[in-house]
Amino acid sequence: MGAAASMLTPLVVGVILALAGRRLGDLLPPATAVPLLTLASLVTALSTGFVLAVAGFDALAQLPVVASAGTWSARIVAAREPVPLALGAACALACVALMGAALRRFVSSGRDLAVAAAACRRLGRGTDGLIVLADETPDAYALPGLSGRVVISTGMLRALPAAERRVLLAHEAAHLRHRHHLYVQVAELSAAANPLLRPLAGAVASAVERWADEDAAQAVGERTVVARAVARASLAAQCGGTSRISTTGVGTRVALRVADTFALARTKAMLAPAPEPHRALTATVLALMIAGAVAAIDTGSHTEHLFEMARAATITSS
Amino acid sequence: MGDPVTSTPARGRGELEREVLACVAAAPGPVTANDVLADLGGGLAYTTVMTTLARLESKGVLTRSMPGRAYAYSLVGDPGQVEEALAAHRMRRVLDSRGDRASVLARFVAELSAEDEQTLRTLLADADAGPGGTS
Repeated sequence: MGAAASMLTPLVVGVILALAGRRLGDLLPPATAVPLLTLASLVTALSTGFVLAVAGFDALAQLPVVASAGTWSARIVAAREPVPLALGAACALACVALMGAALRRFVSSGRDLAVAAAACRRLGRGTDGLIVLADETPDAYALPGLSGRVVISTGMLRALPAAERRVLLAHEAAHLRHRHHLYVQVAELSAAANPLLRPLAGAVASAVERWADEDAAQAVGERTVVARAVARASLAAQCGGTSRISTTGVGTRVALRVADTFALARTKAMLAPAPEPHRALTATVLALMIAGAVAAIDTGSHTEHLFEMARAATITSS
Repeated sequence: MGDPVTSTPARGRGELEREVLACVAAAPGPVTANDVLADLGGGLAYTTVMTTLARLESKGVLTRSMPGRAYAYSLVGDPGQVEEALAAHRMRRVLDSRGDRASVLARFVAELSAEDEQTLRTLLADADAGPGGTS
C-alpha cells in the first residue's frame, strides 16, 4: 500500500533472489532453472531500475527550475514525496550509473556475439557444425552464431574414450541447440544493471553447463558416463596448460567452454539422480518476481497521481 | 565393467558423422572402418560406418589411402585455413578490446617487417580492385 514500501519491494526481491540464487540453481532441474532465473533477474533488474528512476525523478521535480519547466508545484511534490531529497538524488545518480553500466554491457555482449558469429562464418560449415582443430592442447567449446560451431581440438578428442567423446559432442551441441549463450548474456546484462543480482548470473552460468550435461545424458542414455566425461575433460584441459586458442579466446567471453570451474559440482550432480521438477519452488520464484514488478508499477502510478495533484495546484493558484 | 555402450539411444545421421570424425581425429594414425567400429561399438553396422567414412571423405574432411586390404582414413591435414581464420579472429578481438583502434593499428603497421608491409600493401590493393569496395 505505502509508496515507500512499494519502492523497497524490488530491492528486497533482488536481495532474496541473490541469497537464494545458488541454491535454486542446484535444486531445480537445469532446464527449468536457466529460463526461470534468467527471467527473474531480468524482470527484477528492470523493476529496480524503474523504481530508482522514479525516485530520482521525484527528487529532481522538487527543484524550482524543473518544477516551473514542468508546470507543477514543487512544494506539493516535496510535501507528498515519500523519498527525502538527498536519497532521491542518490537514486538518480545510481540510476544513471547503472544504466550506463547496463548499456556498456549490452554493447559489449552484442559485439562479442557478432564477433563469434563472424568467426563461425569464417570457419565454414565443418562436419554438421563440428570443427576439429589439429592442436595437441585439449580444448572444446561451443561458438555461438546463427548456426553455431562446436570447436574441439584433437588433444581433447585423444584424452577421451569413445563413449565420453560422444558425451562431449552432445554437451556442446546442446549449448548451441538451446541457445545457452543468450541466457548467460541476459543474466550478465541484468547483473550489470543491478549488481545485487550478480550471484544469479553465476547460477545461470553453472546451470547452463548442467543443462547441457543432462541433455548429453539423455543422448547417451547413461549418467555415469557423463560424470566421467566431465571429470576427464576438465582434468585434461587443466593439465594440458593454457591452449593457444583459449588464452586469446575465439569469442572467449561468449564461448561456452567445457572445462569451467563448475566441473566438480557437475560431476557430483551426474552421479546423483536427475533433479525432480519443483513446482512450489518455481512458483515462489515467479511470485517474487511478479511482486517486484507489480510494486514497481504501483510506484509509477503513485508518482503519476502525485504529479496530477501538483499540476492541479499550480492551475488553481494561478 | 568396461564401457557398457550396448543399448544407447540411436544416433541421427549428422550426429554419427560427427562421432566418426571425432573417432578418426582421436586416433594416432590412419584407421579403417573396422577400427572405427571397434572403437565406437554399440549397435553400429559395418556398412553404416563404411558409408559415413566415405561421405566424410567425399566432403573433403578425411583423406583415404589403401595401405593394406582396406581403406584407411585420416583427418585432412588442412587445419591451415581454420588456423588462419582463428588467428585473424584473435587479432580482430584484440583490436576491438582497445578503445583507440586507430593508434593500435598505426603502431602495428609501424612495427611490421618490410616483407609483411609489402604483403599488406598487396592485400589492400587486391581489396581495392575487388568488387567488395573500400569497406
